[in-house]
Amino acid sequence: MSNPWIAIGALAVVALAIPLTMMAVSSLLRPSVPEQGKRTTYESGEVPTGSSQQIKFNIQYYMVALLFVVFDIETVLIFPWTVIYSDAVAEVGMTKALLPMVAFIGILVVGLGWAWRNGAVQWVRSPRATKGADTYE
Amino acid sequence: MQSAPLPETLANLLRLDPNSTVVMIVTSLIGAALIGTLMMTNTALAGPWAKRKITAAFTDRIAVDRIGPYGLFIIVADAVRLLSKELIVPEGVDRPAWDLAPLVIASTALLGFAVIPMGNGIQLADPEVGLAYVFATASMASVGLVMAGYASNNKYSFLGGLRAVAQNLAYEIPLILTGASVVIFAGSLQMSEIVAAQQQSLIGPLPSWYAFVNPFAFVLFMIANLAEVGRNPFDIPEAPTEIVAGYQTEYSSVYFVLIYLGEFIHIFLGGAIIATIFLGGPAGPVLPGIVWFLIKIWGVFLFTQWARSAVPRVRIDQLIEIGWKGMLVLSLANLLLTAVIVGVTVQ
Repeated sequence: MSNPWIAIGALAVVALAIPLTMMAVSSLLRPSVPEQGKRTTYESGEVPTGSSQQIKFNIQYYMVALLFVVFDIETVLIFPWTVIYSDAVAEVGMTKALLPMVAFIGILVVGLGWAWRNGAVQWVRSPRATKGADTYE
Repeated sequence: MQSAPLPETLANLLRLDPNSTVVMIVTSLIGAALIGTLMMTNTALAGPWAKRKITAAFTDRIAVDRIGPYGLFIIVADAVRLLSKELIVPEGVDRPAWDLAPLVIASTALLGFAVIPMGNGIQLADPEVGLAYVFATASMASVGLVMAGYASNNKYSFLGGLRAVAQNLAYEIPLILTGASVVIFAGSLQMSEIVAAQQQSLIGPLPSWYAFVNPFAFVLFMIANLAEVGRNPFDIPEAPTEIVAGYQTEYSSVYFVLIYLGEFIHIFLGGAIIATIFLGGPAGPVLPGIVWFLIKIWGVFLFTQWARSAVPRVRIDQLIEIGWKGMLVLSLANLLLTAVIVGVTVQ
């Protein structure tokens, strides 16, 4: 059995070579006539005001992103357990193989429930949209 | 069903020594070029031709029937047309990131196919961590989407990029957890083992494909996969009626082709993952394995196009709530349920 990562590396080379070739072919074929009006960003025909890289925008999912990190690490820890699970059941019995994972997932579910109750997995409405509503303060 | 990976088969075919590293590098490159060509052919068929034909059939119209048999030569015409278009570089784009994003989107999608068993011994590599690897490569595309959204200097692109992240954050975990529930059955992350574990008979002639063994997980995975590839009802990152075209608004010419290409390869990668872990990989009666594999990935492609034509788009707040309150809880329940069932049957 040879090292499978050689083949994966080879596919990485091919996967980069295909788009790069297309870009090279295109650069030989295409015209380049930059004009003032053509080069403005397309925002539905409105004249763009300001740069999008400087606008302040509520990205909404700061808490969701934190939760994602927690659950992503959780999946990393679950994967080895899934691999050995059926062997472990045969060896030490179902209680010993399953209960620790139930406890582990249980703690995470409690965490998710806490985040849920605190509105972390909810799309926050803007103050203007919620003016008069008493759900947010 | 077990066979050597493609590079070794090629080395034996060319009468070269499969133990030498140089030979393996050369045959790996040949094999990778074959896989790349196969997937590019599928994408070329799907993007300019099949997608239009399918959408036209759903909306009772006639599409691309002018050039060649069934309008098939539109593929060549479109390739020439799109590659020879002017590349408009908008003002104020963040240059290296703007150029790299299409490259990232297109090339990472292709990477996942390295470990997919396609039947008839067509499998480039078979590492022990196959399933984890394929999930890792499939989620790399979101980096490209963020780069494209941020670097375009367009508010709609920016919104599209942010929406893409929100969506991928919400649906990645259910996708991977449901994939993990399959590993409980198979007891291995190696793709060839997962396929081999699905070959016994379940009831009578019905094979024990995990879609039949655990239909609940299959449905969950199909839904999460729709979100992962950004098709209706989860296509809010590009929602044309709301934010023009999302992160791809400012891309023209070859960059547009690359982003589109990446999306279609990604759909096929999703199909390949589904085929491998739920539909018995390349297994099937009468026809050779590679044909069955292609039928299965095109089946998933047809399903995404069907959803695209038939299902309305959900709102961004609904999407977050479906993902975190619905899919995540259901996928955790599915994981524990699978563990209990497997535990009881093993004991």
